[in-house]
Amino acid sequence: MELRAFDQEYMSSGHVACPGCGAAIAMRFFLKALGDKVIIVLPACCWSIIAGPYPQSTVKVPVIHSAFETGGAVASGVRAALDMKGDTETTVVTWAGDGGTFDIGFQALSGAVERNEDFIYVCYDNEAYMNTGIQRSSSTPYGAWTTTTPGDEWKKLRKKNIVEALVAHRIPYAATANIAFPEDLVRKVKKARSIKGSKFLHIFASCPTGWRIPSELSIKIARIAVQTNIFPLYEVEDGLKYTINYKPKEFPVSEYFKPQGRFQHLTDEDMKHIQEMVDEDWALLLRKAGEHP
Amino acid sequence: MKRVVEGSQAVAEAVRLAKVNVISAYPITPQTHIVEFLSEYCANGTLNARFLRVESEHSALAALIGTASTGIRSFTATSGQGLALMHELLHWASGARLPIVMAEVNRALAPGWNIWIDQTDSLAQRDTGWIQMYCEHGQEVLDSIIQAYRLGELVNLPVMVVLDAFYLSHTYEPVDIPDQEPVDRFLPPYEPKFQLDTEDPCDLGSLVTPNAYMEMRHNIAVAMEEALFLFQDVENEFKAIFDRRYGAIEPVACDDAEIILVTSGTVTSTCRQVVDDLRSQGERVGLLKVKLFRPFPVDLIRQNLTSAKKIAVIDRNFSFGASGIFAQEIRAALCNTHKHPPVFGYIAGLGGRDVTEDVLEEIYWNTKNNEVPEKESIWMGLQEV
Amino acid sequence: MADQEEIKSKVPLLIPRSCESTLSNMTGSWRFLKPRYEEKTAPCSSACPAGEDIGRIEMLTTQGLFKEAWETILRENPFPAVCGRVCFHPCEDRCNRGDFDEAIAIHTLERFLADAASRNEFKPSIEKLTLKKQKVAVVGAGPSGLAAAYFLTLLGYTCDVFEAMPEAGGVLRWGIPLYRLPVSVLRNEIAYIESMGVRIHTGKRISRSFLDEAHNQYSAVFMGCGHSRTRGLNIPGENMDGLEDGIAFLGKIRQGENLSFDGPIAVIGGGNTAVDVARSVLRLGGKSILVYRRRRQDMPAFDQEIKMALEEGVEIRELLAPVKIEKNGTEYTLTVQPMRVAGTDTDGRAAIEPRDEQNEEIIVQRIFKAIGEEAAEDWYNPPGEREKILTLDNSIIMPRSEGAVLVFGGDLTNQIKSVVHAVASGKEAAIALDILFQEGSDAVESRLKDYAVGNGPSLSMEIYMAGPRSERENHIVEYDEINTDYFELAPRVTQPRLLIEERRKTFEEIDLKISANVAIKEAERCFNCGLCNQCDNCYLFCPDISIQKDNSPQGRHINYDYCKGCGICVVECPRNAMAFEEEST
Repeated sequence: MELRAFDQEYMSSGHVACPGCGAAIAMRFFLKALGDKVIIVLPACCWSIIAGPYPQSTVKVPVIHSAFETGGAVASGVRAALDMKGDTETTVVTWAGDGGTFDIGFQALSGAVERNEDFIYVCYDNEAYMNTGIQRSSSTPYGAWTTTTPGDEWKKLRKKNIVEALVAHRIPYAATANIAFPEDLVRKVKKARSIKGSKFLHIFASCPTGWRIPSELSIKIARIAVQTNIFPLYEVEDGLKYTINYKPKEFPVSEYFKPQGRFQHLTDEDMKHIQEMVDEDWALLLRKAGEHP
Repeated sequence: MKRVVEGSQAVAEAVRLAKVNVISAYPITPQTHIVEFLSEYCANGTLNARFLRVESEHSALAALIGTASTGIRSFTATSGQGLALMHELLHWASGARLPIVMAEVNRALAPGWNIWIDQTDSLAQRDTGWIQMYCEHGQEVLDSIIQAYRLGELVNLPVMVVLDAFYLSHTYEPVDIPDQEPVDRFLPPYEPKFQLDTEDPCDLGSLVTPNAYMEMRHNIAVAMEEALFLFQDVENEFKAIFDRRYGAIEPVACDDAEIILVTSGTVTSTCRQVVDDLRSQGERVGLLKVKLFRPFPVDLIRQNLTSAKKIAVIDRNFSFGASGIFAQEIRAALCNTHKHPPVFGYIAGLGGRDVTEDVLEEIYWNTKNNEVPEKESIWMGLQEV
Repeated sequence: MADQEEIKSKVPLLIPRSCESTLSNMTGSWRFLKPRYEEKTAPCSSACPAGEDIGRIEMLTTQGLFKEAWETILRENPFPAVCGRVCFHPCEDRCNRGDFDEAIAIHTLERFLADAASRNEFKPSIEKLTLKKQKVAVVGAGPSGLAAAYFLTLLGYTCDVFEAMPEAGGVLRWGIPLYRLPVSVLRNEIAYIESMGVRIHTGKRISRSFLDEAHNQYSAVFMGCGHSRTRGLNIPGENMDGLEDGIAFLGKIRQGENLSFDGPIAVIGGGNTAVDVARSVLRLGGKSILVYRRRRQDMPAFDQEIKMALEEGVEIRELLAPVKIEKNGTEYTLTVQPMRVAGTDTDGRAAIEPRDEQNEEIIVQRIFKAIGEEAAEDWYNPPGEREKILTLDNSIIMPRSEGAVLVFGGDLTNQIKSVVHAVASGKEAAIALDILFQEGSDAVESRLKDYAVGNGPSLSMEIYMAGPRSERENHIVEYDEINTDYFELAPRVTQPRLLIEERRKTFEEIDLKISANVAIKEAERCFNCGLCNQCDNCYLFCPDISIQKDNSPQGRHINYDYCKGCGICVVECPRNAMAFEEEST
């Protein structure tokens, strides 16, 4: 691993994330990539709790907790204030879950990106409202069980493509990243920091508790998500130029579903249907990147 | 320098003089002139501030929470629906102890789209921990906004300066717009007591368990109480430089009044005339203008109202299932006094309906001619529909 | 107006502003499963008869620590330069990487390290125990004798090795052809063994009576005389001039005799000696015809050697049994009977019976027999099964009430007659003797089990001497215990060789050397099964930052105050160097 140089920690042990929490791993890598000249805006999500109860703070950088839907807006304010102070060094980051990004926080995100506010918006995606008890979000993938899509009512709607939604804003930089690919993640974080304007990082962060997997598989399942094309690694610059970062060995999607309790109810028929959708999306992505399937 | 300006422009001038650094607002009638003036000042450099053209009022206040937490003097303006949308964050701003100042243009709440004066919007937010000042005229608006920064930054509480839709926001009046130098003497640069700082990192607004939350809330209550005293000090400082003072309440001919009319906002101006007229007819009537609604000046209310025989409160608002809100607060203030007069509650002028001298006189005679109020709230001028 | 301080005290600011660290939460109390570092055994090291710590050797090589890697070999095998050339590398057959793409070229890397040590004149630092009082005599300076003397010396014993020939090395010096093992390489290796304190006396042939008189000076005698006499064909014409002993022929070449041939030469046999003879013959100008009574796949010679023989032009005639030899003018007629497969023998090879066909006559210039060797003297052989004889995996120990303990090893006792098995003999004998001297012969068999690599039979001297290797678990890591997500397909190095045309003309070494960066690249393919190579995956992926780097040999430790027992570290360890078990209450 080339990350040996990043031995500086900006996070402490003793936080209350679930064992195997992908979001904790994501934040650890993220801070290692950015250093401490960062202000984090933290709307309601699992990290609101992981950040530590008063008077403790898990991370060693300034954090401002904000209301659920305000990630993009509070960050705009912090950035404006720093600009008025003449601070050109500090990076403003919004660190939000999928709820605060895809759903209730979408307006503020869209508004901030449309104004091309100079900040990095990170969505660590565990694919449901995990903090409140595993309820579905528009980021919950097709086929998943959640507490609000139980039994036969498992989610039969596609996961919202947040990166595409932001690409439509011609956002200067949007990229997907994954906790099982730390070097790629770090590279993208550093690249985001070097660009002025709005940047969006969609980090795949597994949730053993909500996905019903043993905690030790947290990284492995994240890797399989990329290898099955369920969560491709790619970047889009200026809303136009697509670059695919990783061409996987192409495992069937069943490899991704089998270890997860939240997908246990899927039949072979269901998986076949999902495989078709995944293949279609991958072909579309290849075309956008100027490559042929 | 005295100029004839719109109430909205008085707001903008005050913001300019207060050297606000970030403005974040979303347009809504009839606040739009305020944001338009401020946009222009920012664009032409008259005001060295960043104007955030946010995409909703909720985001407007959210952005300011970010700004103020980073130690910068901030401003927003809104009205009616916009204020209602901000509700969650009004609580947040005071809980976070941020001295944000807002110009709030009182406007009726929908449905039934109604863009005219009604105080229910701002009064419905009376629990949110914001200092609330109700203004009568353009000069008071300008002065109050400047004083709001001084007061808010002393106690670390947000301040809402309230002005009537159209009657104040769009009315042109002569306003003395001070020079920058005396304002600078009155209002020093903002020195935040805490802020987000990478050199001294901290986490603001985290999870607080039952064993610490109550103390924080008590702290806000203490700040509000101090605000009442500090308001007076701030007014003293202001008077010393600008020779103007308003008071948390302003009694007019109350010393020997048998009936005291209580008003707020532009209705007060009309009422001054009505009190003059009635006095000239020999009626022993007085007027109490309430400026500072939060913190509610309980002692001053008691001092000024207990000697009268009857109190008539004119509310341009209503709390459904209860009564007019000023009347509620006054009744509550008087409740624990040894002997206090009955409080007659009148509801008038909702949704921009004009409160004329006739309406006010009718209120006076109704009060005089009844020993006790016929009903808790009497709605004036309802038509048959 | 009240001043700032007064205002501060009247309007205190108690807000949710947090800056204490979370370190006071000992989240380790959440744990019900506990990870820990646990090194295990790589299959290659268990497959190696000498029990070399191959996973570690490759790890040190990737780090450029060639001297340390070489020393790691020397702890278990004094002949890396030799084995790196002549060993049949059973390690590579068990290599887990073979299930992923291709096995690691362990053989090539061993040679590289030995060559690097020689080129850079490394002086090894190997642990040696303090001097003991017992002395041991070793008969025969072949691979088993030298290995026995070497290991006994490491254990603190004084050894005298007696060798009849003018130079030490046994089959390494007098048998194996130069194109497989150059003499300078061997001399270098033997010099190293002598530098450890082993005393070699060449030109000293030992007589039988020595065994009975040895106890005056020696507590034990190790018999490493090897199998130097070819078995008889038992066919008419066997004693003719034209029929020569294959082993003796190889010896002649090694002794410097100038030989040449011209025309067809028959070599009877299927083992390594037969193949060596055939390949030597063609280098001396002859056309080699290898005659074997079973099939090619039944030949005991190493596959690699057979393949190269064929490449060089040796002709292999299968299923032909020799019947008689007759002189035919200046040539010889070798009559052979065609055979056919009739079932399987007990050892798994084809059972044969004569085919119903006419015998064939092969006219050749000369005939060499290489049908298997045996001890040159009867008394070299270990005794048959008797009370008080310890028959171990690679040696036989005969304690005697009067007289020195007799130990037999090498080709005298081993089923597979290879150099590395000879080394295994030497090591087993050394450890067995050490136990015997300290605790008596009854303790030997049970104690030896403790020093096995994996589930045996290979032994480790480092484990016996309680080195760090003794901390490892005996569990042999399987392929499905490797997290292959961290490896990319990569081709195995191809060791360069002389062109076939070049090989035929000379006895020059066929396998050529590789450079350091090629060696490192190949070593990097090694999974290091069961060994921690400090890749830092565990440290990196811990959500609770409870793996902390330090200066310990492991390079890190788990901070159990905070470890929640999620187990990510265990799964993401590419090489199964961790264990995950229930928390003991």
